[in-house]
Amino acid sequence: MADTVATVTLTINGREVTVPKGTTVLEAAKSVGIEIPTFCWHPKLKPVGACRICYVEIEKMPKLQVSCATEAMPGMVVNTESEKVKEGRKAVLEFILINHPLDCPTCDKGGECDLQDNTFAHGIDDSRFDFNKYRFIRERKSTFDDYRIGPEIVRNQNRCILCFKCVRANKEIFGEYDLGVFQGGNISEIDTAPGEKVDSIYSGNLVEICPVGALTNTDWRYKIRVWKTQQVKSVCSYCADGCNLTLWKERDKVYRVTSRRNDVIDEGWICDVGRYGYQLASVEGRLTTPLIKKGDKQVAATWEEAIGLIARKFREIKDKKGGVCIGGLISPQQDCEALLAFSKFFRTQLHSNNIDFRTEYKMLPEKESPYYSRLTSASFRIADIENSDTILVVGTNLIKEHPIVHLRVRKAVNQKGAKLYTLNPFTTKSGDLSRDEIVHVPGTLEAFLNGLCIGLAEKADGEGNVRAAELKARLEPNTTAKAAEICGISEARLNDLAEALRSAKKISIIVGELVSGSPAREAIAAAIHNLTVVLNLNERGQAAILSRAANSKGAERLGVMPSLSKELQQKLKSMWGGFPETEGRATDRMIHAAKKEELDALLIIGANPVASFPDGQFVREGLDKLDFTVVADLYETETTEKADVVLPLSSWVEQSGHFINLEGTMQRFEAAIKPVGNSRPGRQIIEDIAREFKGGLFADAHEIAREMQELLNVEPRPSFPDAVAEVKFAEEKIEKDYPYPLFVVDEMHHFGHLTERSRSLAAFAAEAQVEISPSLAEKLQIENGSLVRLESETGKLVLPAKISEMLDNDVILISRNFSGTAANMLQMRKKRIDRVRLIRVDEK
Amino acid sequence: MVDVIRTVFIALPKGFYTTLKHLFKKPVTIQYPKVKREMAPRYRGLHYLEVYEDGTDRCVCCGLCAAACPADAIYMEGAENEKGERYAKIYEINLLRCIYCGFCEEACPEEAIFLGHEYEFSNDNRDVFIFTKEQMLANRPKKEKPFKRIIRRVRRIF
Amino acid sequence: MILNKISIAEIKERMVKYPRRKSVILPALTVAYRQVGHLSDQIYREISDIIEVPYIEVAEAASFYTMFPKEPVGKYLIQVCHNISCALLGADSLVGYLEEKLGIKKGETTPDNLFTLISVECLGSCASAPMMQINDKYYENLTREKVDRILEELRRQG
Repeated sequence: MADTVATVTLTINGREVTVPKGTTVLEAAKSVGIEIPTFCWHPKLKPVGACRICYVEIEKMPKLQVSCATEAMPGMVVNTESEKVKEGRKAVLEFILINHPLDCPTCDKGGECDLQDNTFAHGIDDSRFDFNKYRFIRERKSTFDDYRIGPEIVRNQNRCILCFKCVRANKEIFGEYDLGVFQGGNISEIDTAPGEKVDSIYSGNLVEICPVGALTNTDWRYKIRVWKTQQVKSVCSYCADGCNLTLWKERDKVYRVTSRRNDVIDEGWICDVGRYGYQLASVEGRLTTPLIKKGDKQVAATWEEAIGLIARKFREIKDKKGGVCIGGLISPQQDCEALLAFSKFFRTQLHSNNIDFRTEYKMLPEKESPYYSRLTSASFRIADIENSDTILVVGTNLIKEHPIVHLRVRKAVNQKGAKLYTLNPFTTKSGDLSRDEIVHVPGTLEAFLNGLCIGLAEKADGEGNVRAAELKARLEPNTTAKAAEICGISEARLNDLAEALRSAKKISIIVGELVSGSPAREAIAAAIHNLTVVLNLNERGQAAILSRAANSKGAERLGVMPSLSKELQQKLKSMWGGFPETEGRATDRMIHAAKKEELDALLIIGANPVASFPDGQFVREGLDKLDFTVVADLYETETTEKADVVLPLSSWVEQSGHFINLEGTMQRFEAAIKPVGNSRPGRQIIEDIAREFKGGLFADAHEIAREMQELLNVEPRPSFPDAVAEVKFAEEKIEKDYPYPLFVVDEMHHFGHLTERSRSLAAFAAEAQVEISPSLAEKLQIENGSLVRLESETGKLVLPAKISEMLDNDVILISRNFSGTAANMLQMRKKRIDRVRLIRVDEK
Repeated sequence: MVDVIRTVFIALPKGFYTTLKHLFKKPVTIQYPKVKREMAPRYRGLHYLEVYEDGTDRCVCCGLCAAACPADAIYMEGAENEKGERYAKIYEINLLRCIYCGFCEEACPEEAIFLGHEYEFSNDNRDVFIFTKEQMLANRPKKEKPFKRIIRRVRRIF
Repeated sequence: MILNKISIAEIKERMVKYPRRKSVILPALTVAYRQVGHLSDQIYREISDIIEVPYIEVAEAASFYTMFPKEPVGKYLIQVCHNISCALLGADSLVGYLEEKLGIKKGETTPDNLFTLISVECLGSCASAPMMQINDKYYENLTREKVDRILEELRRQG
């Protein structure tokens, strides 16, 4: 025990309880299994004592006390079950029920309602209130007061018991100021600010924490009763945070998703993408049977025909030209088992290293630099963020990419007083929390980081482990002033940040997709590595490039990449009795090879490179040149259109497996429903192809588990001395014709290419928009919703504009999640920053 | 000899008398398909769904009948109607599973489902025994079931 | 901008006095009310910009207090307490009398823009119930005659 925690000892119901100082009486009672009814109490929120149902009797106190807001004190004698307490509870419940409607049969909360349960357990069966109940009526269509406060949330104020949990969580935890309590007394009303909607990415949590049926989700609303459903433990399949979920299903349908609190990862909050993303499993239009291209048409076929054709074609190509002419792309949203099978199939049967899972990244290197792979595989704990006193967020719109990591950062800043600094090419929501929101000129990140290193080294000269002179020689630009000038940030701000980092006790550096997706990722990673060396971060913090999708980390650890670390290669060689010697190709090189007709066949599972690869022209040309393309997906996509064989893939709710989240934690998820139609899980498809091609990959499930475990035991970090890397800064050319930097990112409520099919997520955003700052809109005279034309060197796109209050510099953001919008047509894989011009379209 | 006389002159007429007596009595049996018996007021036969005076469903698809059903014979799916109210989009009773215990009737908080007096629903096709909501609404008797009043009275007491 | 320079300066002056920005909401609302005579959405937004708290916090606070009228009111804002002590001593009939006397309903303003009648929560003068507040002045131990006199006095002042 490093530090001793002060404790207090009190007596609850005659039992001695010892708890840390500062614990409330309620939590002390809960810690020994004594149940006290609650409504407004929530473990992650500050107590308010609004509902008063948690009354307890404390000796020497004249009145009943609310246990949720009373701190445990030494020698307290608490009674939670005395007659006085029972009377108090009865009175509180009678009071709450005065205006509460008795519409439990139609209320969706019926069966899991705290008020129902507590009234049944502690209440009385009759009311002394003789008058008519007070009724809120708003937008009255019926006898109910149902009012939509957000795209997916219906509010019924009559049922509200004013615990304020939703409003408190919204403000305290999520930092959203779109919901409030208006008026007072019995006419208090939970409502949005006029003209606003509850449409933050965390909005679903408000429904989940509502103790009664005042807030309901439209996906669950009126569809089923809670006692008819079964609960299945699952893990979110979208971003890499790895939130734990519960799927609520009945027969072959999932009705809703709620969080399954895991304090190490999500603390009981999940984002709306995870909450409503399950819907895409059961929307009209799922692929249910394999399709084989005959002539110009794709014709339905049986699995035997499709698998037979694939195996025959692959054998032909392998015999004629060798296995290296076949490539494979797999989505990082596939489970670990599928990823391992994929890797094993390519490496042991096709003898090819052409596999990759990164279809959204530009210009992947042939061999990753140790700095980059060290940062992607660095040990990183979400829970450790709150122990840091200084947090640096680099190159990520955190709330969009990792909403749950963002919540931890928020918690660290708001509750633990951590200092946050953000370093992005555009303003983000996390910036609101930060001490300094540094917005650098797009494409100059490593210059800033180099300047930071030099600044730190100069400050630490003599006491640090690296001298400024050495750094100056190896870094460019070699003074802080020059670096600041290049990035368009004043030197004072750079020095402030350096000072903050130097004086920090514990640091978390969070690096996101704007770095890992950039062609300059190696240089930036080297710069960040230097920073970790200068800061001596091994001993005082953590720094990591966060992986993107649910199982990106799994793909890295299990070796679904063209080039692997030596340790991993050796492990695979000994495990599988061989490893192909040939050089592997990453995604962009595969497409390049296809274009040059060096690659003949591509097996794509769950990915949609045609829409997601950041060079639309290039990927379309490449895929057209392929002789044989196999695509497995849930729905018809831009990529399946180009396929010779289309295989129906099962979604993650239809299968069980494992995901490895960004921390490297492996988590199991269970199947909730049967595969839709004739679809098969990715793992089974690969196994089927392999069996037909040469022979089964794995003898049984134990073999997969064993191999997975062995691979995960391999130390992921490449070893190299803590030396300073040489980082030169490549100047970014600014073209006059295309003045605005373009960032193609995920829409706030979407992830990947499938979520647009989810009805609820489409209610938040159903089409791509051009996000611009108010100042740019004013300059170009663009109004919210008016059409604009984006032109880059490679393509044109006409989209509605959305003026985002969040942005305040001249950048353009568009989303890549919508099938109608080929955002990647504007991008070029060789360019670090895509640039466009923006023209207002006057409607004819 | 005495036995014969007894049989012929006493026992036989006695027997014939009984028969003769019953010839003029009202018969115990009825001519079933043509004539139907009046059922007991609490008889539990085929289900029906009650509606409000304006013709809208009483059933709100709360699921309590299905929860109370010991045979798991009731299947329902809820939805939202144009007024924003909850209603049963699908309401089915599997008549082969149903044991006609009447728990659904007792569980119903809206007084929507009742077991009626009809008992003629035999068929040689098993599929027919999935009793749908439309059939249940059509099955509504012209006259209110007296038992309904009893249920209401009992409810008021408790 | 609805708020004038003097008000903004006053709000900024008050900001110094409080440890938390949220605490300035009520003083700021009071300043705005003194200047404008009522509050509105636009004023909330201006205040939230000045004291840098989210708009909704200002709107919540303002909506809670009945002392801040949210719409333009007459010269004299008659606020009759309707909480328990006053209610027991006839606040309801007092409101009725005022309605009759002024010829308006509760929540309305007289056509000459002189009087607005509302009823409010406890004003903390229970010992002298029933009572009302007209603008900033308390009128206590009210009777019908007293109300007549007060109204006449105010009318005379115009």
